[in-house]
Amino acid sequence: MNDTPHAVTAKSALPALAGPASPAVVGFLSIVTDASGVFGGYLVTNAWGRPLEFRLSTAVQPNRVQQILYGPTLTEYLHAELIGKTLIEKTSAQPTIVVTDSPAALGLRARLGVPVVCVNAPASDDLLPLPAGRCTATLSYGAKFADDRAALDDRLEAIDPAVDLAEPFGRIREAMAEARKMGVTNRAA
Amino acid sequence: MRPDVTDDDPGRTPDDFDTVDVLEFAPLAAWSPTHDLDLAFASEAHSLARFDSPLGVGVKEARLLNQTPWVRTLGRLDFNISTEGWKFPAPPTDLVRPPAQRLDSSKPAGREVIDLPTLPDDGGVRKPPIRIRPTADTVLIKDRLLYLLQPPLDDIFNGRALEVPFELFPYQREGIAFMVPRHSALLADEMGLGKTAQSILALRLLFHQGIVRSALLIAPKQLIHNWGRELKLWAPDLPFEVFPNDPEARRTTWLTSNCPLKLINYEAVSRDAEVIADPRTYFDVVLLDEAQRIKNKDSRTAEVVCSIRRGRSWALTGTPIENSVDDLINIFAFVDPGRVPSDTPTKRLAALTCDSILRRTKDQVQTEMPAKMVKDLELELTPAQRTAYDRAENDGIVHLNELGQTITVQHVFQLVMRLKQICNFDPLTGESAKLEQLITDMDEVAANGRKAIIFSQWVEPLEVIAKALGKHNPLLYHGRVPQKDRTPILDRFKADPDAHVILMTYGTGSVGLNLQFTNYVFLFDRWWNPAVEDQAINRAHRIGQQHPVTVTRFLCESTIEQRIAGVLEAKRKVFNDLIANAEKPAAMLTEDEIFGLFDLKARPKRG
Repeated sequence: MNDTPHAVTAKSALPALAGPASPAVVGFLSIVTDASGVFGGYLVTNAWGRPLEFRLSTAVQPNRVQQILYGPTLTEYLHAELIGKTLIEKTSAQPTIVVTDSPAALGLRARLGVPVVCVNAPASDDLLPLPAGRCTATLSYGAKFADDRAALDDRLEAIDPAVDLAEPFGRIREAMAEARKMGVTNRAA
Repeated sequence: MRPDVTDDDPGRTPDDFDTVDVLEFAPLAAWSPTHDLDLAFASEAHSLARFDSPLGVGVKEARLLNQTPWVRTLGRLDFNISTEGWKFPAPPTDLVRPPAQRLDSSKPAGREVIDLPTLPDDGGVRKPPIRIRPTADTVLIKDRLLYLLQPPLDDIFNGRALEVPFELFPYQREGIAFMVPRHSALLADEMGLGKTAQSILALRLLFHQGIVRSALLIAPKQLIHNWGRELKLWAPDLPFEVFPNDPEARRTTWLTSNCPLKLINYEAVSRDAEVIADPRTYFDVVLLDEAQRIKNKDSRTAEVVCSIRRGRSWALTGTPIENSVDDLINIFAFVDPGRVPSDTPTKRLAALTCDSILRRTKDQVQTEMPAKMVKDLELELTPAQRTAYDRAENDGIVHLNELGQTITVQHVFQLVMRLKQICNFDPLTGESAKLEQLITDMDEVAANGRKAIIFSQWVEPLEVIAKALGKHNPLLYHGRVPQKDRTPILDRFKADPDAHVILMTYGTGSVGLNLQFTNYVFLFDRWWNPAVEDQAINRAHRIGQQHPVTVTRFLCESTIEQRIAGVLEAKRKVFNDLIANAEKPAAMLTEDEIFGLFDLKARPKRG
């Protein structure tokens, strides 16, 4: 076992936010669960939503032992640590902000020096809302990372106002389906 | 199968071994054949008498516990994951300026700035965004992903990344989405729907995405200037240069200039065949404007244009079929070489070309364009014109018949031209039924504060008309007007509220001009080819037009004009099904049809 499940790092131990907010490089992390397991697609765009890089992971299917041993931390471990962090670290373009469609992936912030926001997350005490001006869906970030608010505002401001932060996830899912259709994930596995 | 181990421990039965669950990571060293078993049981536990033979202990299959059913693996504890990624082309840095610096300059001088009409209310229903999609022949996964991952065009053009001067109509965004992923594309929209803007923006997108780095635009000479203006308007961040006239300087431009977009006219291309053959001459995109210029595959122009090394072949024309289906086949010799053989049956043509052609007519996008009303105004010749006309026709026919087998189509053509001129003006008195009507109509146009374009085949009638319409401050725009004076004339027509009319010849004014602020078009006489007439009409009825456009086609009763119109109208119908959705394919008169305009006994000697 390479990594052990762990709770979200305490605020004081958060990786420091890195890099200038401009020019914006936005990472869109989509986590999908289907019959083959949990897998992720990660699109890096510039400030205008243009694709710079795209990365796809193989699917992970946790077995019974893993489910038991990881317990309630399993989802965050899979989404944030295993899939999200791997995808982001293996991508050469480093994001100034990460947008995800998985609330569990908000834990990425504890592992990377990049602020993370989530679209369409169900209301929760663990989340703080962001103004939805840039998004047709709700936008929120982790309550544990409340100090990121100023950085988030700054980095969101650097994104073209015409970019809807919820929109790229449709593209990502299409691209993931296309890549899987063409056998990419088999190759990657 | 049971382990071949016996002992006399009453508390332990062989069945116990079945229930042992061993995790994958649990060592089985105790059962390894390399380890000794401690079988020194206490002698008082059991008597030896219970055994029929001396106690012998052996391990036949010590590895058994490594195998099912003795080991039931519940699974691994670690997770394995792998990834695969693609990096996409980065746009050239000089094209990526900070948004704040974009388009801060004013519009190019002389450009008509049009307030577009408000788009129809969609009732609050959000239409699906228009996206670029990979084509069926996009083979590489990286290319397919690149197109799939592009943001919707709506977002691109609404944002700061690619600012556009006017809001695009949905069909225009669809046109751009059609062109961008295609290596072979023929945009055949009806004139006036904005092919120029669509192609410029498609090019601009490709440059911004870093997918293309060099492009060549080939256009008719008289349109190069207009292309420059359109480029400044629709792609102010895209540097371009026009090939110079000097052959040596042109050679330098071909071979050493690294300007991303170069503009050249067809004539110069024909002359530069030698340098075009140089292996260094290559463009990621070659775009042909008025692609019907290469409809004759044996022409020097077509030959040289098709020889240019290129990655993408794009063509623009509003009339992909002017005379015959061969026009389209020959355009495809450039657009998709080898795809449409020259002997392709007509019924196969649509299937072979449909994926590479996009054609929309104004009727299809009517909801997005003001209406165009065309009326054929049949006029009775004035008495003086009628007398002159009848005499000229009768004498002309007699003369043609006297020619016998020496008659040629040029002889007939001369008579046709003579009669058409009489339909315009009586040669002796200068009377003109058309001009009388035109003066009346123009008074109404001017009274309403509108502007009009008048087209004629000849310069002379235009000059006569200009005198007659002096109170409306007419402007003349024809081939005899020096090139340098033309743009100021158009600018004045646009800006001067008292200049109500501009008079143009078909040859000079029918293509490439944007006169959307004009609501009336008069065709004083008819051109031979309806496609040219349509192009003339579409100077006014094009994107940016806010009001309906009224087109008046003058036609003199019982004259050669009426006969020609009848023949052409019949021919239009023949082509209706050749191009998908084609509304007005055009055709010129053939030699036999020109002879058929008169009751002639004489026929040229064949063969």
